[in-house]
Order: sequence, then structure tokens, then C-alpha cells
Amino acid sequence: MKICIACGMPMLEKSDFAGEDTKKDYCIHCTRPDGSMQSFEEKKAGMIHFIIKTQGFDYKAATKIAESNMKRLPAWKDCFNTEV
Amino acid sequence: MKTKRQIQKESTKIKISNAAYNVYSEYGFSATTAMIAKEAGVSHGTIFVHFPSVNELLIHLIEIFGNRLALEMHNLSKKNDAIETLLIAYIDVLKKYESFYIRLISERCLLPEDVQMIFVNIQSSIAVHFNEVIVTKIENQMIKNLPVHLLFNTWMGLLHYYLLNKDLFSPEESLLERYDSELITTFLELIKN
Repeated sequence: MKICIACGMPMLEKSDFAGEDTKKDYCIHCTRPDGSMQSFEEKKAGMIHFIIKTQGFDYKAATKIAESNMKRLPAWKDCFNTEV
Repeated sequence: MKTKRQIQKESTKIKISNAAYNVYSEYGFSATTAMIAKEAGVSHGTIFVHFPSVNELLIHLIEIFGNRLALEMHNLSKKNDAIETLLIAYIDVLKKYESFYIRLISERCLLPEDVQMIFVNIQSSIAVHFNEVIVTKIENQMIKNLPVHLLFNTWMGLLHYYLLNKDLFSPEESLLERYDSELITTFLELIKN
């Protein structure tokens, strides 16, 4: 089973993959309209938005949660080494 | 093919994990690695061969059940099953880790921050799947049109209140075995349109 490198979602079916391409390492939710993978900032903003929407947490707490999640994902490791 | 040594190594790791679940469930997160070693029947040093730090052991334990929970929720939310199915599956996984989960929710703030974040991220992933299912039901007017985070938090609040007061609600047996149907039925009754 492949795990999305950008958000950690399990990719079990073809429809889970970006552009339904099972060779891709990222999922449909981490894809831009042109098929490329979202940037670090785009993904982070999306995650924060979702945490607030689904759990109602404070923005600062949601940011901390999103960053801690992203730190563990292969796609963003280098971003944290240089930016945080 | 795995060598005999690899199989033995994995088996010891599982033995330590199971012992750690038992010890933390019974004594809380202030329990020592010496207690876990004794429970597992291994030397104290063996624990650190498999888990270089207590944090890594804790993260491993939380991830085992968290990943199981997240995968179960992921599969069900993709099928857009009934909320009842989702909640039953959720509680079924929690039943296997009930005592450990109670420790997690009652002692979360005492854990190191990186360990806390692992648990919080699992909860976030559950919330996302809950949201996926609930949004469709709201659109179909099957559920009251309330903010999704409040619907999720109402469920978690109800569930956690019972778990945190297990000594009062169900001192002799599993709380989730005793109250699962009542909690699910009541929650669904409260939110239905």
C-alpha cells in the first residue's frame, strides 16, 4: 500500500492517486489542477483550514498540528530543515 | 525470506509493545521502562535495542492503534457508509485499546510534545473522515445543519466523558462493551433531522 508523501493518506485505489496515475507518490487531494503536487505553503494552508473546519481548533494550535504532521512526511522534510 | 534472527527480533519487539500497553494502561505514563521490561520478561537493556528512547516507544504504541483506526475510517468514509457504521467500526478498534486510550486522553498533557502531536494528528485524521461522511448527510438533509466541528466534538465529548469516568459508569467491565450501542444510538438521535 502506498502512502501519499505529502499528506500521509493511504492510497488504496486508482482514484486515490493524482490523475489516477498509480506511479505517482502523491494523492488526489495534494494535486493542483495542472496535475503537479501542491507546494509546502499550499499544503500547510489546506491542512490548517481542514483542522479548523473539522475540529474547531484555534488557528495557532491548528498551525502547530499541521506543521508537526508535515514534519513526518517525506515530501516536506527538506522544507523543515531549512525553514524551521 | 526472513532469517530466524529477524523473526526473533520482531517477536521481541511485539512482546515489548504488548507489555508496554499493559503497563501504561495499568499505571499510566509515569510507569518506568524497568516495569515494562519485567512485564515483557526481557532485560532492561533489550528495550533500548528496539526503542532507543521512551518517546520512540510511546510513538510506536500510539501509531500502531492510530494507524489501524485511521485506515478503518479511511476505508469506510470512502464508501460513504452510514454514520452508524463508521462509529461502530471506530468503537470496535478502540475496544481493543480501551485502557490505553483512557490513559492517553486523561494524561495527554503530561506526555512530551512530539508524542502528544502524534496522538493529536490521529484525532485530526479521524475528524477528516468523520467530516467526509457527515457533509454528505447534511447535504441530503438527513442530519441537522450544524457546523461539522461541533458535530464531531459532540460525539468526542460524549465518548470521552464516559471513558474518563469509567470507574463510575463501568468499574467492573469494558465501558465500550457496555455502552457502545447506547452512545451511538443517542448521538444519532440527537443529530438526525
